Amino acid sequence: MKDFDEIYQRLEAIKAPGLLSADRPREGDPEDKTDKGRAGEAFVLIEPAAAKEFLIAVRDDAELAFDILADLTATDPDTEDENFWLNLHLLSLGHGHRLAIKAMVPKADPVVPSMVDAHMAAHFHERECAEMFGITFEGNPDPRNILLPDDWEGHPLRKDYEFPKEYHGISCE
Amino acid sequence: MTEINTPPEPPEAKTIEIPEKARTLPSGEREFMLDVSTSDLEVNMGPQHPATHGVMRILIRTDGEVVTGGQVHLGYLHRCAEKIGENVEWLQYLPYTDRYDYLSAMNNNLGYSLAVEAVMGVEIPRRATLLRTICAELNRIGSHLIAFGTYGLDIGAFTPFFYCFREREWMMALFEKICGARLTYSYIRIGGVFNDAPVGWLKEVERFCDVFEEKWQEYYDLLVVNHIFVQRTAKIGVITPEMAVDYGLTGPMLRGSGIDFDLRRDMPYMAYDEISKAGVYDVPLGRGEKGELGDCWDRVYVRVQEMMESIKIIRWCLGCIEDGPVIGDIPKVLKVPPGEAYVGIENPRGELGHYVASDGGKVAKRCRVRGPSFCNVAVLEKLLPGTFLADSVAIIGSTDVVIGETDR
Repeated sequence: MKDFDEIYQRLEAIKAPGLLSADRPREGDPEDKTDKGRAGEAFVLIEPAAAKEFLIAVRDDAELAFDILADLTATDPDTEDENFWLNLHLLSLGHGHRLAIKAMVPKADPVVPSMVDAHMAAHFHERECAEMFGITFEGNPDPRNILLPDDWEGHPLRKDYEFPKEYHGISCE
Repeated sequence: MTEINTPPEPPEAKTIEIPEKARTLPSGEREFMLDVSTSDLEVNMGPQHPATHGVMRILIRTDGEVVTGGQVHLGYLHRCAEKIGENVEWLQYLPYTDRYDYLSAMNNNLGYSLAVEAVMGVEIPRRATLLRTICAELNRIGSHLIAFGTYGLDIGAFTPFFYCFREREWMMALFEKICGARLTYSYIRIGGVFNDAPVGWLKEVERFCDVFEEKWQEYYDLLVVNHIFVQRTAKIGVITPEMAVDYGLTGPMLRGSGIDFDLRRDMPYMAYDEISKAGVYDVPLGRGEKGELGDCWDRVYVRVQEMMESIKIIRWCLGCIEDGPVIGDIPKVLKVPPGEAYVGIENPRGELGHYVASDGGKVAKRCRVRGPSFCNVAVLEKLLPGTFLADSVAIIGSTDVVIGETDR
């Protein structure tokens, strides 16, 4: 079991594709009241275009061996923000450690290569993520809606989503 | 393993020219049965089908008795849990967590509470931790009882279902005594638990354990090693270890394929570190005893064995629980500091992950739920092709899918 710093050192050592930086939780600045710091867990930032290669690299490295893609999702942080966050959570069965990964996907052109080749588990998650946020996963073998009806308009988990007034003549108000 | 079961194509009608002479029966009548189409047939299993355990629809393409393709259609029970999570306060979201995997609501409460606590960094009183563990394990037993009982029902064994509900009724009565609800508990709260156990409750849990251990042997003899049951489930729906890892399966589905991994032991949360180090329980694994490694029987076997392991954990907790506070110092209107955390816990069906992100306000910025059933059900599209139609019911049942969780 490795802690986050050891994992990050190893990521740098194997030159994981698309690795940008690490983001660790920090205390707020007591003098600056607007800076409240950040709580929670540490994560690494990667390039979204290299996400698939990154996953394959950390899966095949014997010291990291992140063989399970636990979760793939996205976050719309704010209406004003220019990016979606693509959140990936990996789990290693052999070593019993986790890694949280984040990639910034521009809202203007939300296209990410599909990660199905690295982990088949990505398939259903990508379909859900695509319908909820409007992110296109290029190369997904079956990119239909999974939870929403096929003719649903809009992407519900975006912060600027407007609730529909009616659906097939059924009033939603 | 990148190949995917492509969506069923429209069937091609095979027309065979039948000479008029062959159509005429000795009696002089015309035989119409020869016009029966022999093309592949697409059958909708569900959304209203008893074997799909809820409103799941599986589009199956069959060639006679053989399934040639399967496609899972979800979303009939989608209730926008994640969107609701971004619109209600932190504590108000707790009752919604009950409703995704409604058979193990305690575990859902626990997963969400741990995720929020991971961002907040609060201290949980010892008694609350042990009460949480007892409730989560009791609920695991109840959930596995349903999984096991309804699985017997799926493949034609009616009696075990009633046996299971008998013990589950007691489990629900225990929960009713501690929190007032029988299915949607909202008992485990952020910071601890809702209230202390009533007088005599822990004693009754102990009695439940005693009785359950006795009854468990009945289930085992009645169904698990029953010859007919073994014939129906062994060598069916084999998930190889590589496939299980590739599809991101967790929980009994993963351990049924012989992979020794349990989040409670390998990535401990709450008191499980202590419990695992004390060697209180084992992690049962599929061994391919009756057929092949990773078949339906192995998965059922793992679930049934896990019930007994839960009893051991409950007994350990009962042995060392002491009086004390049951909830930490939590304000009525919760404000979570800016930050984010992902916490995965071992639910009866696998890893239940909660990813919560806060910007310091009263509501979450993101409240993501990774339901284990959602991931486990994806493997069906790979398992179904090539099996018999009658076996497909056994395979679907063995994934122990809860639709409230796949659709959330």
